[in-house]
Amino acid sequence: MGARVERLRASLIGTPSGTLLNLVGFVVVAVVAIATVQRVYQGGGTYFFQTIGFGLAQGAIFALVALGYTMVYGIIELINFAHGDVFTLGAFISLALMPLFGLTEGSISGLQIVLPLLGLFVVTMLLCALVNITIERVAYRPLRHAPRLAPLITAIGMSSLLEGAMNVWRGPFNLHYPSFLPEFQIQLGGGVTIAAKAVMVIVIAVVLMIALTLFVNRSKLGKAMRATAQDRDAAQLMGIDINRTISATFFIGAALAGAAGIIYGLYYNSVQAFDGFTYGLYAFTAAVFGGIGNIPGAALGGLLIGVIFSISDGYFSVAWTQIMIFAILIFVLVFRPTGLLGMRVPEK
Amino acid sequence: MVRTRGLGVLIAATFVAFACGGTSTGGSSKGEIVIASDLPTSGADASSGLPTQYGAAFAVSQMGTLKGYTLKFTPFDDAVNGKHDPTKGAQNVQQILSNSKVLGMVGPFNSGVAAAEIPVANQAPLAMISPSNTNECLTLAFDYCQKYAGYTAAGLRPTGKNNYFRIAANDTFQGPAMGDFAYDTLGLKTVAVWDDQEPFGLGVANTFSAEFTKKGGKIVVRQGFDTTSKPDFHTWLNRAKTAGAQGIYAGATSASYGCLARAQSQGIFDPATSYYLGPDGIGDGQCITDSGAMASDKMYASQGVADAESNPTAATTVAAYKKAHPTAADTGAYTFAGYDCAAILLDAIGRAIDAKGGNLPSRQDVIDQMAKTSNFPGLTGTYTLNSVGDPTKPALQIQQYKSGAWSTVKNIAVTV
Repeated sequence: MGARVERLRASLIGTPSGTLLNLVGFVVVAVVAIATVQRVYQGGGTYFFQTIGFGLAQGAIFALVALGYTMVYGIIELINFAHGDVFTLGAFISLALMPLFGLTEGSISGLQIVLPLLGLFVVTMLLCALVNITIERVAYRPLRHAPRLAPLITAIGMSSLLEGAMNVWRGPFNLHYPSFLPEFQIQLGGGVTIAAKAVMVIVIAVVLMIALTLFVNRSKLGKAMRATAQDRDAAQLMGIDINRTISATFFIGAALAGAAGIIYGLYYNSVQAFDGFTYGLYAFTAAVFGGIGNIPGAALGGLLIGVIFSISDGYFSVAWTQIMIFAILIFVLVFRPTGLLGMRVPEK
Repeated sequence: MVRTRGLGVLIAATFVAFACGGTSTGGSSKGEIVIASDLPTSGADASSGLPTQYGAAFAVSQMGTLKGYTLKFTPFDDAVNGKHDPTKGAQNVQQILSNSKVLGMVGPFNSGVAAAEIPVANQAPLAMISPSNTNECLTLAFDYCQKYAGYTAAGLRPTGKNNYFRIAANDTFQGPAMGDFAYDTLGLKTVAVWDDQEPFGLGVANTFSAEFTKKGGKIVVRQGFDTTSKPDFHTWLNRAKTAGAQGIYAGATSASYGCLARAQSQGIFDPATSYYLGPDGIGDGQCITDSGAMASDKMYASQGVADAESNPTAATTVAAYKKAHPTAADTGAYTFAGYDCAAILLDAIGRAIDAKGGNLPSRQDVIDQMAKTSNFPGLTGTYTLNSVGDPTKPALQIQQYKSGAWSTVKNIAVTV
């Protein structure tokens, strides 16, 4: 890996045109950085924290979905295109289950929602997980030793299948998703406030991510997952049940996506059958950004993309946001192709 | 002598018989005339398209027969995945044209769809009359049309002649009408504006901003959102709040997330004190559903036609319609405009039949008569159509969301 980066750097810096491009690149980056700092300063403390807050909230949802992409790629080197749709399915399922938990908009608020919402999360996450392990068993496991393109196309097909199913179930148009997030502002001191809505999203996501990290690092199944990701044959030789481990990866990834679906619904108040497609693209980008296969990397990638989104929306213009995100992504990958925290894929 | 007189009587009697034979013999009809419609009647746009279709259908069924011809109404849906789709609209027009009994169509609802349909209908030709198209570039020439709308009025008419008519006030009136209302009636001084980057939304957002600023108000932040995917409004809404916006103007439709910004304002704006304004695109039931708990009586929308229910001469028809359609959702802002469009079309067809001595007119005959529509007493206003297809005295209304429904608060008559 290092040699490749070195060769890239050499090719960029070594030639006169490379040096010029480098210079231009640095000037552009410097100008944008200075402009950002200047505007942040002009906007004031409260506005900055508000903006960062919304950015982290957006990023936290990206992170939860990115984790599913990164874990699956890390263990079987498959880009699970259907993952974004499992995330949408989570939102759809939770919408359908809401009446069962007494969660109707306007009639319930404050601390009363905590227990029903918790119940909703558990059931939705479980159902999404079950759907995903079924998908894995039916569509991906039979193709585990097939040429790479076969599972890839199957994943794309699964994505369309899920979108179609949701389209048939609830129709193609936007569904209103109620908001049970708090409406007040949290005082951070010195007159600076941050929306409790954003904080709530960040807190739920962080709790789930911490739970995942503890599981992967401390539990036996987590150790099996890490071992399988590192070297599948060796893991099998050590007596690890590969099929069960891979299924567990899909299970956990989907549970996180299901939770993300609920949070997405609560935060954006609208879900639609085809949302997962674009959203999944951003989440996968985040996973690659942080380092594919790398769990903390996916979390970092997601949060960073969310923050870039928000800073661009808040200090510049929404029209520049996509350019900013992908320019930064390309910039980082040119100098660090393995992503911010490095890749973690099976050793060959 | 006697035989010649008898022959004369016989010949005269034959003439009389032929003359009398021209009129229908009561029971049998002379044929069928079909009125078609093309509106978005499924998905998010259905809350505006479907009630309009019902209005047009009601006009046709109320009349039943026209000068001896049986009337039939054939509706078409131009929504794809819940949103009005220009390509689908053009396909629908092709299908409508293939039925030779169709002499005219009501619709479409959306200006973007009209831009795709007018050239197709123009070449046939087939009379079109829209209850709600508001983009000024469909009939008028402005130098920004090609750039912002993507088309010009002349470009939409390959034959060089006009076949398209409408009764709605064009956008050059909707934005400023709300701008005036926001400043004068609501007393707002600072507003944040966003648009959905589509010709209609961008147009009304621009004209609203220009008028509001001209009156002395300030647009504190202005932003375009790419609504091909779901936008995250939070950061921008916060920016608007920080800049001191008393309200937000959404240059959008419900299908392009028009009222999602209202829902996402939760925690940023207080629904009881912050205003949400928009064009007819957000004045429907879908907007209220999308707003969720943030829907309040501070939401206002303009509509490109006047309110039929404040017109005393329309009372009987309105009541008859409501009896036939008791569900509240079946009466929308453009229901009676849909009715008027169908009625104007039928009136033109009637005059064309007369001009042809009782025979079936051609589609071009109907178009010629449409252009001669003068002082037609409609439910939503009295209409005289000019040669480019616009009403000479367009009317607008401002609606407020109050007690669970959009209701008219102000009718505005514009003198062109």
